[in-house]
Amino acid sequence: MKKLLKTALLGVVSTAVLTNVAKADIKSFFKWEVLPSKYTEGTVPSDPNDELWSMVPGKYVYLYPQISVRLNDAQTNKIIPKKKLQKALVKVVYNSQNIAVYVKWKDNTPSIQPVYTSNAFGDGVSIEFPNKFGKGITLPYIGMGDLKHPVSVYLQKTVAGRDYEKTFISEGFGTLTEIKEEGVSIEMKYNKATREWVAVFKRPLKTENSDLRAGLVPIGFAIWDGNQHERDGNKALSRWKFIRLKKYPIDKDYLAYISWGDMIHKEGDPKRGKQLTIQNGCNACHRYDDQNTAPQDMAPNLSNIGGIAHAPYLKESLIDPNDVIIRNLNPNRHYNKFVKPDKTGAYPNNDMYTWYIKTPDGKIQSKMPSFAHLSEQDIKDIVAYLKTLRNWRNFK
Amino acid sequence: MSKRQLAMVMDLNKCIGCQTCTVACKTQWTNRNGREYMYWNNVETMPGEGYPRGWMEAGGGFDEQGNLKDGIIPDMVLDYGVPWDYNHEELFEMDYLKPDTDPVWGPNWDEDVGAGDYPNSYYFYLPRICNHCSNPGCLAACPREAIFKREQDGIVLVDLDRCQGYRYCIAGCPYKKIYFNPKLSKSEKCIFCFPRIERGLPPACAHQCVGRIRWVGFLDDEEGQVYKLVHKYKVALPLRPDFGTQPNVYYVPPVLSPPKFDDEGKLIEGGETGRVPVEFLEKLFGPGVHHAIKVLKEEMEKRKRGEESELMDILIAYNHADMFRLDENYYQNLAAEQGLKGTEFFKIIDHRYVAGANTPKEEVKVYFEK
Repeated sequence: MKKLLKTALLGVVSTAVLTNVAKADIKSFFKWEVLPSKYTEGTVPSDPNDELWSMVPGKYVYLYPQISVRLNDAQTNKIIPKKKLQKALVKVVYNSQNIAVYVKWKDNTPSIQPVYTSNAFGDGVSIEFPNKFGKGITLPYIGMGDLKHPVSVYLQKTVAGRDYEKTFISEGFGTLTEIKEEGVSIEMKYNKATREWVAVFKRPLKTENSDLRAGLVPIGFAIWDGNQHERDGNKALSRWKFIRLKKYPIDKDYLAYISWGDMIHKEGDPKRGKQLTIQNGCNACHRYDDQNTAPQDMAPNLSNIGGIAHAPYLKESLIDPNDVIIRNLNPNRHYNKFVKPDKTGAYPNNDMYTWYIKTPDGKIQSKMPSFAHLSEQDIKDIVAYLKTLRNWRNFK
Repeated sequence: MSKRQLAMVMDLNKCIGCQTCTVACKTQWTNRNGREYMYWNNVETMPGEGYPRGWMEAGGGFDEQGNLKDGIIPDMVLDYGVPWDYNHEELFEMDYLKPDTDPVWGPNWDEDVGAGDYPNSYYFYLPRICNHCSNPGCLAACPREAIFKREQDGIVLVDLDRCQGYRYCIAGCPYKKIYFNPKLSKSEKCIFCFPRIERGLPPACAHQCVGRIRWVGFLDDEEGQVYKLVHKYKVALPLRPDFGTQPNVYYVPPVLSPPKFDDEGKLIEGGETGRVPVEFLEKLFGPGVHHAIKVLKEEMEKRKRGEESELMDILIAYNHADMFRLDENYYQNLAAEQGLKGTEFFKIIDHRYVAGANTPKEEVKVYFEK
């Protein structure tokens, strides 16, 4: 059933490639979501000060405070509503073997995690690539992937006394597993004159985990500001961006899939979409916009989902929630006080707050019901509405 | 969460605040490698700010519905206090004794300050270790699920492989008994001396206690003195049960404080707990404190009349073997069940605690064959 649905979806998209709507989507997609790159015959630079970078075109990427899940540091949570949109300049260079991603962002308060404090944090930056992408493969959840879409994460933190450079595989919150990949290097330097951090991530195009040799390569960005107590999920997060590697062809179907709805604001009615979210009870589990009656942590907070998610991802989440099952943040955060504790006095976890269930045959199933029964226009309206959600000021 | 639960009971009537437990723990575990500032075991004066400063107001734990509460991370200098040294060498040149830094707080900064005005001032000592809670706040707070509770005995440990030093555990623990190791950039905490426990020895703090105020045992061992103090007589109570983590260190509340004097210096008769206000004890140990005080006084009276009292015999703490009934064969049986012999017995120590033990490199390869 699910497969049929997906084929049907892709079918619709493929025929739509010819329409004006799809053309407009693709044009907008290339303008806003695609990062340029430069091919070089020489070596790919790993030094942020390499002269080559001045000749590479760049593009700005916006990063939103992460509020989908709420962590339990009171001091940090107080800061979140005051945070500003983070902006980073991204440049990409590649040759036949390697790729380097240059990330530059402003930080007036450079911080390095000191050797002897308990509550100070260092700045950091990371990029992620889906381990699998391309025709027929849906986008992972932007926050370190999901149970069906593992990602490779490259992280650099500034910690005094050592080089905190790590490579991880992840499939959602709490799953970062450190690995070693050959040929990976990360350099991060602060420019005191311009008050900017620059980081360069270099890796082989193909590793044992992922192969980036494609016309459009999804990439995600995260930046941590140590001065704002940022670490882990307290960070600024981009949505998936796509690096254009001109040496490789673009898959038409994949392009049609990821550019779907880039002009959704023209096709869908956000006002009607909001009403539909209320009519369909989205606010019973999710918090978003001015809808904040759902219990905390019941489901991801959607208040800035429009900033970190793409239209096709939102559409999939509505039609087939099982495709992107986001792993719960630690389920022990809520226990059930209304049942008898066990003989050691421990209460069981409160299942109300888990986002998916395990079926008897071991499959995991999202607790979110499918909204595939909604009309195409309803879906477009809801997606159009969700794309307008980019605010984190109401975070509590 | 776990199959069995180890617990410790501390009799606050007998604690003399000598810090032998603190030193036993420090020399065993925390005098090196970024742990210098930590006191997995500390003894603080109550009423007081405690260690770290103001831990009771630093958040964490669970609300009444069982939801994790926000908390703060104490400051190294202001709340924990950095370790300092004294100028002992310079003393030979007629200098005065002074620390080599300018400390503003330390692990026992408000020792013996207490509360109340002369002649009715009062205080008592409160030794604290990790409570190895049944619903640990630290475990719940960790976004990486790096903290686990051992099946065998409920000891709460940090998986040092998974820990990334994010410190939400510190915010989540209402007792602030998990610490950040800045040198390793990982969180560390009291391990209930599990390598000793598995050999049938009590934790170092309990073994070294000169006042013999500590009992150690399994909560479900009905023959054990821990069980009797906690469940049979209900005189040993959890610390701040309102924090909602189901702590497993239990305290016999101090009922033997000196009596009060009036303005003319005459003794005031009565009062449940002498100078220590019973409201304060209720805040620390919950409503069960009234029952505990009643039972303790009744049993004391019994003994004074020359009658038998099992409870008083336990609290006198005649011998270590009874106080530390660790059911030694329990761990040996576990080892035998796993087919481990001789020195292989070491293998049942939960290998998740050992740094590096949890990242088998083949894990990633398996991942991609799927």
